[in-house]
This record gives sequence, C-alpha cells and structure tokens, in this order.
Amino acid sequence: MNILIGTIFLWALALFALRLLRKSRPEAVPAVIARARTTTIYLVPRVFAGLLGAGFMAELLPVDKIEQYFGEGSGLIGVGLASVLGVVTPGGPFVAFAVGASALKAGAGWAPLVAYVTAFSVININRSLVYEIPLMGRQFTLIRMLVSVPLSLVLGGIALLF
Amino acid sequence: MDPNAPPPPGSSTPRKLIDFSLIVVASLALAAGIGVAYQSGLGRVWEIFLDETLLTAELLPKIVAGVLAASALPMLIAPERIKSWIGPDSGLRGLTIATIAGMLVPGGPGVTFPLTMGLLAAGADMGAGVALVSGWMLLGLNRTLIWELTFLPADFVALRFVLSLPAPIVLGWVVRHTLRRREARQ
Repeated sequence: MNILIGTIFLWALALFALRLLRKSRPEAVPAVIARARTTTIYLVPRVFAGLLGAGFMAELLPVDKIEQYFGEGSGLIGVGLASVLGVVTPGGPFVAFAVGASALKAGAGWAPLVAYVTAFSVININRSLVYEIPLMGRQFTLIRMLVSVPLSLVLGGIALLF
Repeated sequence: MDPNAPPPPGSSTPRKLIDFSLIVVASLALAAGIGVAYQSGLGRVWEIFLDETLLTAELLPKIVAGVLAASALPMLIAPERIKSWIGPDSGLRGLTIATIAGMLVPGGPGVTFPLTMGLLAAGADMGAGVALVSGWMLLGLNRTLIWELTFLPADFVALRFVLSLPAPIVLGWVVRHTLRRREARQ
C-alpha cells in the first residue's frame, strides 16, 4: 500500500516536472528522458541484488540475544554494538524499523535503538554500495560517511541520559 | 538561458553496468542465500527469492518515476539561483535550506542521489550536498511518517527526530569548512 501511494505521488511529480520543463526548456526534455533511462537500467540490477541480500540476511539475524547486548543496562557498549549492526543491516528502512521494533519487544533500550536507527540512516554499507557510490561517486560517499561516523555514538550517548 | 550552460544532472552516472559495487552486492546476496539454505533449506531460499523478485517488480514503476522527477527537477531551477541558495557561499542559511530540501524529498535513494547530483552539477557545494543527503536520511518526512511511525513508538520517534535535528547542518558545515581549508592550503 505504501509503495502504491509513493508510486502515484512520484509519477504525479515526474509528469508535473516534465510538463514544466517542456514549457520552459523543451530542448532539454529528450536529454532528461535519456538520462533517466540510463540511470534506471543501471539501478534495477543493483536494487534487485540488494533486496535479495536483504531478504536473506534478515532471515539470518539473531534476535534471541537482544536483551543481553542491547538492554537498558548495556550503556555505551550497547550503543556501539547497535551502531555496528546499523552499518551492516541490509535492505530498505522497513527492514531496519522492523528489526528495531522486534528488538524493542525483546528488551532493547532506547539509547541503543537511537544509535541503531541513526547508524542505519547515515552510514549503512548496503545503501552506499547499491545507490550512493554508483550515483554520487566514491569521493562524495567517502567524505560524507567519514564525517557521519561519530553521529550514532553521539546521539545514542545523549539518549543514554534520558 | 543557454541550454548548454548547466552540466547535465546525473551526468556522472557511470556507464558500466557491471562494476565493483554490483559484484559486492551480488556476492553478499549469494553468501547470505547460501547461509539461509544451510540454516533453513532450499525451500526457504526459493520463497525469499520469489518475495524479493515480486518486491522489485512492485518498486520498478516507482524507481522510474523517481529517477524521471529527479532528473527533471534541477533543470527547472536556474543554476544561478541554485548557487545563491546552496552554493559554497550560502552560509548556515544555505545548509538549512539544503537540510529542509532533504527532509521534503518524496522518495528513496533512487530519487535523492540523482537529485543531489543534479544540484551539485548546477552549483551547490559539497557541504550543501551532504546536508541535503543527511537531512533526507535522518529527518526525511517520507521515511519518518510512513515507515518509522508504522513500526516504532511515537515518543521514541520524537526523541530520535529531535536529537537528529541539528545533525545535517553540522555535518554539512564540517564538510564545507574542511574542504575550504584544504583548498586554501593547496
């Protein structure tokens, strides 16, 4: 359902943008369409391989050790471990949030969960390999990830105070 | 406006269909697939394979629309304006604009990265690019409202969101100033 809503919305946006472009710079339309086609052809095999890996890895995640490592008393170590998991969790946001939700149910504390979601958001390897490096280049990806490394530890650390 | 003036958005998209990143992602998928086969048997591997194939097919129209919108949008704004909004001299205001733009991007990485690439090509600096991408990653309304709130308690989501609020601006600022200092030294 979420996918359908997103799809309709994005098509509306795309058609609207193309219409505006056809009025203001008609000469640019073929180039935009050609570029969109190249990018799509480039993306699809990556998305498929990424989703497949995510599906398999979600099956392999150990959910029974959660409270021991990520409980309320796990402190900075829990925050650090959760950050590492956020880096390696494959798949889109709904995999990560589903993992987070089951972790909460299994006894995880808020601070490790903040660290997990943050690390998943800014320094996730899977997304960088599938999308960011191919689309943005290695330099942008590397610089952005390097400055973002401390973030999950800092935010998780602050969340420990609550 | 000279049609040849702005470098085409997304022009740095590599042409090689099979490259290092695809090989890594495919190898990871293969290794994890072997792990699942070992743990739960081939039947489960097949089930997951079908699920993910179906999901890819469902996502396909969304990817096409997202890439189209992301390729067209930066062409609609004059490069001079992009430069003054989120160029190297746009200050904290520029980083804030980039962060808010990132929050509002209505889609996934297939939209955000090509859009950012287009804006960088049209005069945004790397600091603003990092602020935009980070704003989308940490504060994106699409992700927070649709996905995060579906799965996680609202008070947790509020705490995480508030803690993350300054982060895209800070990260963008660090990148902008580090690069500027490096350039000054050269």
